[in-house]
Amino acid sequence: MTVALSKTEIPLTGFVGQVLQRLGEAVVEVEKCDRRRGFARIDPARTVEVAEKMIAMEGCRLATATGVDVRDGIDVLYHWAFEPQGVVVTLKVLAAGPDLQVESIANVVPAANWIEREMHDLLGANFRNHPDMRRLILDDSWPEGVYPLRKDFDQVADRPPLPPNQTPPDVPPEKRQAE
Amino acid sequence: MDVAWMLTVFIAAAAGTLLWGLVLKWVDRKVTARVQWRVGPPVYQPIADVIKLMGKENLMPSTARGTGFLLAPVIALAATGVAAAILWAAVLMPGTTFLGDLIVVIYLLIVPALMTILGASSSGNPHASVGASREMKLMLSYELPMIIVILAAVARSGWTFQLGGLIAAQHSGPVLYSLSGVLSLIIAVLCMQAKLGQVPFDVAEAECEIMSGVYVEYSGPSLAYWLMTRAMLLAVMPLLLIVVFWGGLDLSFPGVLAFAGKYVLLVALVTLIRNTNPRLRIDQTLKFFWFGLTPLAIVAAVLALAGV
Amino acid sequence: MALLRELWKRALAKSLWVYHVNTGACNNCDIEVLELLTPRYDIERFGMILVGSPRHADVLAVTGSCTRQAMPRLQEVYMQTAKPCVVLAIGSCALHQGIFCEGYHMGAKVDETIKAVDPNAIIMYVPGCPPKPEAMISAAAQGMELVKTL
Repeated sequence: MTVALSKTEIPLTGFVGQVLQRLGEAVVEVEKCDRRRGFARIDPARTVEVAEKMIAMEGCRLATATGVDVRDGIDVLYHWAFEPQGVVVTLKVLAAGPDLQVESIANVVPAANWIEREMHDLLGANFRNHPDMRRLILDDSWPEGVYPLRKDFDQVADRPPLPPNQTPPDVPPEKRQAE
Repeated sequence: MDVAWMLTVFIAAAAGTLLWGLVLKWVDRKVTARVQWRVGPPVYQPIADVIKLMGKENLMPSTARGTGFLLAPVIALAATGVAAAILWAAVLMPGTTFLGDLIVVIYLLIVPALMTILGASSSGNPHASVGASREMKLMLSYELPMIIVILAAVARSGWTFQLGGLIAAQHSGPVLYSLSGVLSLIIAVLCMQAKLGQVPFDVAEAECEIMSGVYVEYSGPSLAYWLMTRAMLLAVMPLLLIVVFWGGLDLSFPGVLAFAGKYVLLVALVTLIRNTNPRLRIDQTLKFFWFGLTPLAIVAAVLALAGV
Repeated sequence: MALLRELWKRALAKSLWVYHVNTGACNNCDIEVLELLTPRYDIERFGMILVGSPRHADVLAVTGSCTRQAMPRLQEVYMQTAKPCVVLAIGSCALHQGIFCEGYHMGAKVDETIKAVDPNAIIMYVPGCPPKPEAMISAAAQGMELVKTL
């Protein structure tokens, strides 16, 4: 649900412009190209290729990744930081509904491993070919398929039932052999 | 001597050493607090700790082996009590010693460490088993130099293995007044630091905080017995060192004063070494005792044999 | 016998050992608890020390709003503490979960969690975010008076 801006409307200048130009055809649209900040949307079919190019650039690292629940699906944002230049370039990939699939970059960028697990836990984005998709931050008693950071999840009303209490010892405390 | 007399001596010595050990524990905590610019606990604090622990419930984990778990602190306390009785009897009544009581005392003072290993292994807790394995390695490391320097002192005192004989042989001059004696006392103080489970060698006990690691599953009266054992060890070890290296107790007024001064000096050394050093890892401790102190102990033994 | 019990209660008041449990706090309250051991406040002069095992403890200092993950573990730790013990709920989060009470990851409140395994638990509350060390010392002093009436 992004407003379509054509590439030619935003001039690709400066360091951010160089980075986005090196990505070439994978960039579907550029939303912002400042001196220190760049936002661009990536073709979902070329996610891994873009990740390989970004990680190979000098001075680049994956700072973090965020997920946004938008009307068409889950928007996965990868924030690439260039520390020597003080620049952050954000690349957006849409995991389109209904099965919310996007290619995982964890095989290329090991830093994305846990971030993608967290996005799967909290938003339900499915990452194809992720090497280790286990539950990361929700607790063991949380049911599968309930994603708490979705916009249609009510934080109080939709909360799953609490985990069961530990069994208190049934012998009176004076002669107790606790476990 | 008859059983009633022996029992009286034992009870008096054990109870007295326990009280004295708890006071020494307070001295340790108070000096530590002052060194850290704090106020520190009042004088009855360790006694209050022991009384409080005796009244709490004694929890035993379901994964623990009951017999070893509950017997270990009792046996440790009993062994330390008997060692204290033998030492005080030797110091105050030198005629009542028997041949080989030095070896008996050394053996009895190893029992608390053995019981720590037994109790920790019976706890059924991974922290405790790590603590037990470290305690085993620690024992292997500090017992060797200790026994070598005690042998050096025995050699200088004319090869008597009787505490009364050691004290008598030092009437002409304690073992300390010789090169081998000085070396032996320094090594013995460091071994005492390890046996008492004090920093820098307390890697077995203070793993998580003050008393964890080997004692993590103990509570209530069992924990109180461990506390009392450690307090009594703090009272007994300087006494052993004074008897073997520094001439024992001379029952005259300047002699008693000198004895008290030596005692306080040794306890103060323990506290000061404890407050000024970080904790060593287990491999650093082993290297320190085996490759640092044991050669020095052998040197001290050779010097003692040569008569220096 | 009553005299021994009196003596024991006085000893308990003079020698409270504290075990600190963090059930999902931001660590601010934990830092304030640790500050109590520094020379400025020094609770060791009251006989209170921090111990490394809940089995050695008389006071469970609980900080943090109890998250779903921490709930069964807090109950386990409470059951492992040798009774009689006092639970000290420190900070707004431990009292009533504060501003986080509507979060999806919140479990039951600390006092409800503990009362689920022991309805007769003794719980003391120290409000503040974080509570000042003076407030915690005042709670400790009131706790000492409380254990004398057990």
